Amino acid sequence: MFALLSVQLIIQLLINGILFGAIYGIAAIGLSLIFGTMRIIFLAQGTIIILFAYTCFWLFNLLGIDPYLSLVIVIPMAALLGVAIYASLFTEAAANEDRNISLLIAIGIMFFLENLMTVLWTGNPRSITTPYTSFVVRFAGIGIPFTRFTGFIMALLAAGVVVLFLKKTFIGTAVRAASEDIVSATLMGISPHRVNAVAFAIGIGLAGIAGVDMATIYPFDPFYGFIFVLRGMVALAIGGIGSVEGALLGGIILGLIESLSSFFVPGGWTDAIVYLVFLIVLMWRPEGLLVRSVKKA
Amino acid sequence: MKDKRPLTIIGILIVVLAIAVVPFMVDTEASFIVYFLFMTFCYITISQAWNLVGGYTGQMSMGQHAFFGLGAYTTGIIWLHNLTHTGYYFDPVTMILSGLVPVVLAIMIGIPLLSRLRGDYFALGTLGMGQIIQVIFVKGGKFTGASDGLHLPSTIYSSMRPYYWTGLILAIVSTALVYFMTQSRIGLALRAIREDETAAASHGVHVLGYKIFALGVSAFLCGLCGSLYGIYLFHINPDSVIKLDWTLYPILMCVIGGTGSVLGPIIGALFMTAVFNLADIYLVGISPIFAGILIVIVMKFMPGGLVGLTEKMAFARRKKTA
Amino acid sequence: MENNALVVKGVDVLYGDVQALWDVSLEVKQGTIVSLVGANGAGKSTLLKTISGINRARKGEILFSGKSVTHLKPQEVVDIGISHVPEGRRLFASLTVLENLKLGAYPPRARAVFGESLTKAFDLFPVLKSRQNQKAGSLSGGEQQMLAIGRAMMSQPTILMLDEPSLGLSPILVKTMFDLVASLNKQGVTMLLVEQNVRQALKIANHAYVLKNGRIVMNGGGEELLADPEVQKAYIGERWRKK
Repeated sequence: MFALLSVQLIIQLLINGILFGAIYGIAAIGLSLIFGTMRIIFLAQGTIIILFAYTCFWLFNLLGIDPYLSLVIVIPMAALLGVAIYASLFTEAAANEDRNISLLIAIGIMFFLENLMTVLWTGNPRSITTPYTSFVVRFAGIGIPFTRFTGFIMALLAAGVVVLFLKKTFIGTAVRAASEDIVSATLMGISPHRVNAVAFAIGIGLAGIAGVDMATIYPFDPFYGFIFVLRGMVALAIGGIGSVEGALLGGIILGLIESLSSFFVPGGWTDAIVYLVFLIVLMWRPEGLLVRSVKKA
Repeated sequence: MKDKRPLTIIGILIVVLAIAVVPFMVDTEASFIVYFLFMTFCYITISQAWNLVGGYTGQMSMGQHAFFGLGAYTTGIIWLHNLTHTGYYFDPVTMILSGLVPVVLAIMIGIPLLSRLRGDYFALGTLGMGQIIQVIFVKGGKFTGASDGLHLPSTIYSSMRPYYWTGLILAIVSTALVYFMTQSRIGLALRAIREDETAAASHGVHVLGYKIFALGVSAFLCGLCGSLYGIYLFHINPDSVIKLDWTLYPILMCVIGGTGSVLGPIIGALFMTAVFNLADIYLVGISPIFAGILIVIVMKFMPGGLVGLTEKMAFARRKKTA
Repeated sequence: MENNALVVKGVDVLYGDVQALWDVSLEVKQGTIVSLVGANGAGKSTLLKTISGINRARKGEILFSGKSVTHLKPQEVVDIGISHVPEGRRLFASLTVLENLKLGAYPPRARAVFGESLTKAFDLFPVLKSRQNQKAGSLSGGEQQMLAIGRAMMSQPTILMLDEPSLGLSPILVKTMFDLVASLNKQGVTMLLVEQNVRQALKIANHAYVLKNGRIVMNGGGEELLADPEVQKAYIGERWRKK
């Protein structure tokens, strides 16, 4: 194995990791926003990403809509779904602060969706094939699949938009304030329900983008969602809660860890390594490795 | 009110006796009731186990399936390598060992996780642990049979009856164990920890010790049940014994039945097993979807569960007469 | 003439099963400074939080300009003109000074006059202007208190409720704080002040209440209570009696 080691190979591994990790990143951003405002761990995020992967898949196979174009439909749909989920299921849980209940509701949603998708569309893995899905850009012996690269760019753009929204808009600032101190935010006149709904809209909207990414890059099946959201949590744990940049970076780092470990430790141990990293970060630095501590005022 | 206790005990004994004699009254092999009750007994056992950690101590553990699976695998390994040399199929020694191995895991994992993680972080940690265990078993090579798993000789199977009665005993043991623990000072300490850890600690309660104890007992019960189920299945593989269902369904049952008492998990298990089986008959393949919908609905409208609902109704009735 | 008094009538507040306020009544007349004093844990913060909607009153009524506001949510209370600067200020440490001030003007009627209010706030607190792009968490204690009050003022309040504004401040800053309260009042803001610094709080108050173990035990004019021997003994101590 080490005889095959070369700079090219390392770079290839790194690039693979970074490109795929960005998708973990946007899942993590969604989780971070929802957790930040409502302290809810939305375990259904991964399964909803798969739901949108299926949406993209069917839009393509039934209506011939190109995956990237389908974003125009998927993103608003996802944002609305987010608001609907919040409004119908989480309003009391958010107010009550009983986090176990909201965790269970999220799990219930996950379970429901997973099995619903299996019944509707079977458990067989799906993927999308378009003229460009097998296109690979090559230079210097390194191959970058086109769809992975586009997926990466999309993720970066999405993260950028979210950052701009949070920093430059009034409601975005309100979301940041509510994430820090919801009681104080209500004393400013900020309505928690509005802020929470926005967080969910963005979170699920990002899931829509991730779903389209997924559909073009990797075969997916209904049960992959759970694994994916756990990866999202790992990314969040690494990157720290409360920062969009951190979540994205956490995802990329996770992608790197996966890519490198699946090469150097072959045979399916990657999963265990990822969860081990998760446990370690969870226990020793729950606020994340990348977040600098914020002073309380 | 003091008169109620002897009556309750007699009532319970009658019910248990009635359930115990069922196999004599029906054709055990073909009977649906026997199968239904057997599954219910298993779920009751695991639900009581979870209730001890999650309901009474307030630590939302999502790792039962790992303990359950470990129990099943331990039994499989002991049997296949004839480690205990007893030759029985329903060997109590094997079962108890299968219960103890998960306890070791519980302590090993419990110390770091319980000492540092609270609430949903702890839940996540146990989820992560469960996933790691799953990977380990898939990669275990010849020892654990990899993803195909272990096969126990099915020629040993003679009748459903021993399974049924062992299941009944497990359900009774787990219920009784949890009941007496919660009635004792241990239960008081656990509840104190659930309400306010800092306050409990300042009153001299060794918080970490009690938490690990609860997790350990829970792991033991899950392991026992895993052992029984492993023998029942004959084919022990990660997909069937270390699946998340074994964590989620018991939580669902506790939550639907009500987490505040030992009755809740029993009611929840009965109710949910009935729902699942009915759904399997009339709406094939759809039953797990119901699990999801049910969790959501119950958590949204009845966080106290069925038992909580009846309490509320009783309270309302009392208020009217007051 | 609109009677912008805040009236609290017979309010009971419980935390779970523990009663924190018993039959509390007080009145804040428009344009005045009312001080609420008492020992730690007497329930002063609880009362403010009940008025601003964070806590719920189990019994009793709260009226603002004659209208009941007893069961309003905090965001609605701010909307009608009652602003609450909580104990410990609770600024948004990770947001900048300017962002904190912006959020203070969240209610629509305040947002309409944001530009004006911001200029006024910077005139009042020049240091906030110079630090406007710094994170609030990096300010000193005194600056944070100024930001907290400035932020509350951005909502154009009719009544400003301050919970222990002098907490954690040096003696010089404490004096500046109380001067600020008096001057804001002169500009027309009605003040409800909760304080442990009893002497200063009573000095500037038009009217004052003493809260003990969740009950109002005394009320009267500020100077009147200050001169009262019982108040002096319980809250002010021997040294100040002669001053």
